[in-house]
Amino acid sequence: MGIDDIISEAPKTAFMLCNEAIVRAALESDIKVYAAYPGSPTAEIVDTFYALRHKLDMRIDISSNEKVALETVAGAAMAGLRGMTSMKSVGLNVASDTFYTLGYVGVKGGLVLVVADDPHAHSSQSEQDGRYFSPSAYIPMLEPSDPTDAARMVKYGFDLSEKFQTPVVLRTVTRVNHQSGLVRTGEMKRTPFQKVDWPHEPTRFVTVAESARNFKHHMLERSKAIMEEFENSELNTKSIGNSPDVGVITSSAGYNYAIEACRLLDVSPSVLKLGTTYPLPEKLIADFISPLKRVIVIEELSPYLERQVAAIAKEVNPGIEIIGKRSGHFSEALEYNANIVAKVFSQLFGVKTPRDYDAVISRAQKLKQGIPVRPPTFCPGCPHRGTFSALRKALKGVKHVFASDIGCYSMSALSPNFYGDSMLCMGASVGIAAGFFYSVNEKVIAMIGDSTFFHAGMPGLVNAVHNDVDFKLIILDNDVTAMTGQQPHPGTPLPEDEPGMKRVLLEDVVRGMGVEDVTIVDPYDVKNASDTMKEALSRLGLGVIISRRVCALHGDRLKRRSGERIIPNFVDKEVCKRIYACEKDFHCPAISIDEEDRRVIISRELCDGCMVCAKLCPIGAIKSTEGAK
Amino acid sequence: MTEKSEFSTLLAGVGGQGLMLLSSVIGEACAMSGQRIITGEQHGLSQRSGSISVHLRIGPDVISPLIPIGSANAIISLEALETLRYIEYLQDDGIILMNSRIMHPITETSQVAKDKELSYFGLEEIEKRLSEVTENVLALDALALARQAGNPLTENIVLLGAVCAFEAFPIPMDKVRSAISQIVPEKAREANLTAFELGLKASHARFCDKFPCKNLE
Repeated sequence: MGIDDIISEAPKTAFMLCNEAIVRAALESDIKVYAAYPGSPTAEIVDTFYALRHKLDMRIDISSNEKVALETVAGAAMAGLRGMTSMKSVGLNVASDTFYTLGYVGVKGGLVLVVADDPHAHSSQSEQDGRYFSPSAYIPMLEPSDPTDAARMVKYGFDLSEKFQTPVVLRTVTRVNHQSGLVRTGEMKRTPFQKVDWPHEPTRFVTVAESARNFKHHMLERSKAIMEEFENSELNTKSIGNSPDVGVITSSAGYNYAIEACRLLDVSPSVLKLGTTYPLPEKLIADFISPLKRVIVIEELSPYLERQVAAIAKEVNPGIEIIGKRSGHFSEALEYNANIVAKVFSQLFGVKTPRDYDAVISRAQKLKQGIPVRPPTFCPGCPHRGTFSALRKALKGVKHVFASDIGCYSMSALSPNFYGDSMLCMGASVGIAAGFFYSVNEKVIAMIGDSTFFHAGMPGLVNAVHNDVDFKLIILDNDVTAMTGQQPHPGTPLPEDEPGMKRVLLEDVVRGMGVEDVTIVDPYDVKNASDTMKEALSRLGLGVIISRRVCALHGDRLKRRSGERIIPNFVDKEVCKRIYACEKDFHCPAISIDEEDRRVIISRELCDGCMVCAKLCPIGAIKSTEGAK
Repeated sequence: MTEKSEFSTLLAGVGGQGLMLLSSVIGEACAMSGQRIITGEQHGLSQRSGSISVHLRIGPDVISPLIPIGSANAIISLEALETLRYIEYLQDDGIILMNSRIMHPITETSQVAKDKELSYFGLEEIEKRLSEVTENVLALDALALARQAGNPLTENIVLLGAVCAFEAFPIPMDKVRSAISQIVPEKAREANLTAFELGLKASHARFCDKFPCKNLE
């Protein structure tokens, strides 16, 4: 599915990533404002909207963080326009302050907030279960299981939002967002973008004292009314099986695994798929479990549904056996798969699984013994590799503690670098560094990426300036939000087609905050960068070192666009003396060792031609294939 | 049982080798031929030379994006080590179509640099271990064919051509060719279409005595 297909007016059947289907459904719902900060597994929603920004009559922003993004669409929705934002699980932590109160005041125009959890922590720092936000904020939540389901729920979400004047959460998981399939799109008829006159209604969106208390009562009534609507919603489906005593309650990705497990074992319990998971349709659940002897709850992460099923069962069917996480059949950790569910079904229904999954896994473990691990690492040409190389040289012999942050540079903590003493969440390096400075004898180094600094690092630095905290903050300025797919951020050099925007320079920001000691280095020039860093690190007081060089992936894309070629390096074997200076503490995927002569070889296909390894080699054995630079 | 009417493939490789494009082409070809397909993809960290996989399921009843353990009809692997890393997904006697190329992980190179006696994990050992699960281990030098096609980045499409030779692969060849033309950016289209034909022919010449193939005429 190409970008043009996503905005084609006529309905069609297309192979779409769920994140694309979500964008299409939002456009079919005639949204007027989209704002978001990229985060996996929702980054392709941002990318798809961003690619369409000059083709659509609507406002599309990549915001500096999720809170700002939610506030941007909330402002639009208060005025009566339809808005959407999307974020990863932990993004809602950042936006939660706005989220909770927005539940109180509500909206006028439809507002849909896509929140994607990441069971298995594929690309997140935790397996946070975001479903608990909705009940504590009294904000309705819908949970799709596949792209078609997600598209349908986005469209319904806008209607629901306007009907009850509340924001609506579309909660997904990685295996829903990153699932592709054939989707039948709907009719798309977009209306022109028009500003509205602000409808002055004092205190309509102001919550303080008495109005807060009133809003709370209103919110409780609203949730009750939404529950009524959900009791008869088509988003909740029930199929009656031929095992009259046994039922399955499931939602989200769990539904897919449950259905497949039923087919694998040829068993057919009744299945209740819940698409509306806050407020839960309690009567529907009560009716479903009343005649059962046993109910199996299939959901990833926490026993969110299971606990509520247990509470409902206590009233309507206290003798029912509830199979789930609390019974020990399923885990609260990691993502599921049909074979995990089938194994439990096998035990419960007394039917054999088509394969002995445990035996297959244990044979595979034996076969995989001794194969080298391949964790994600810095790309060939990545400027972070040069930064780390320079930094570790500059810090040689200096006892220090290293607070890292969220971004590509987090990978320094993985094999074979193993460098990083703390890493929590966006922006945390700066605050943690203050705590380290107060508590440890060693020198304190913090590291943060440009986008992460704009996102959540700035308050920590202001705090450090004000409180006379002494640490060195290294800001990696690679022009883009690299890890999620090289989206632009406030410090990105502006493309020619964005005349009204302004680039915010990191050095201006940190100087404006009151940091006096600001140093800028080029990580491709490792020797100079290292010397300059060493000097900066030896100075007393708070300092910022900006390591500036464009992300290699982004830079390569710009080069390709302008027709510039990438010229790889090679190793002159006559010169190479097996010192491995190019390999140690550098670890570029393009570099390996020739088993015949133990000299270094560089893969033409992988080399980005950054020349940094050539500079690390003390005897000049690495050269450019088109003459040394 | 759904298994019989389904063709499940696990795509494996290293970040940057074009697994997402491969998955898009197959998906688009399914859309063109009206076949139901569901994929479970790995985006996010995937460009950073890490290990990646895509679950790809074709069939009228497929419902979940993940292939159950021991159930894949085939593994198509763009890098030999990565075949072994996902071996638990393959059914006994399933097809393995892999690139003979090995991209040594930095973790391994750093060990090999430290210890003169150490050698890299090699293709022979990989093939030996894979043969404990299936006899149908088919290895192709996709990089050489991709270079021959004029673009070393077309290894993914070489292997797509190679798998298209097999009778068991459920998508018609002409639909795959159309999908390549549609998905691949114009600049790289010709090289990719050539890569497809080279893969198809190589597979036909090398594996058809071992494995039922489609008629190329």
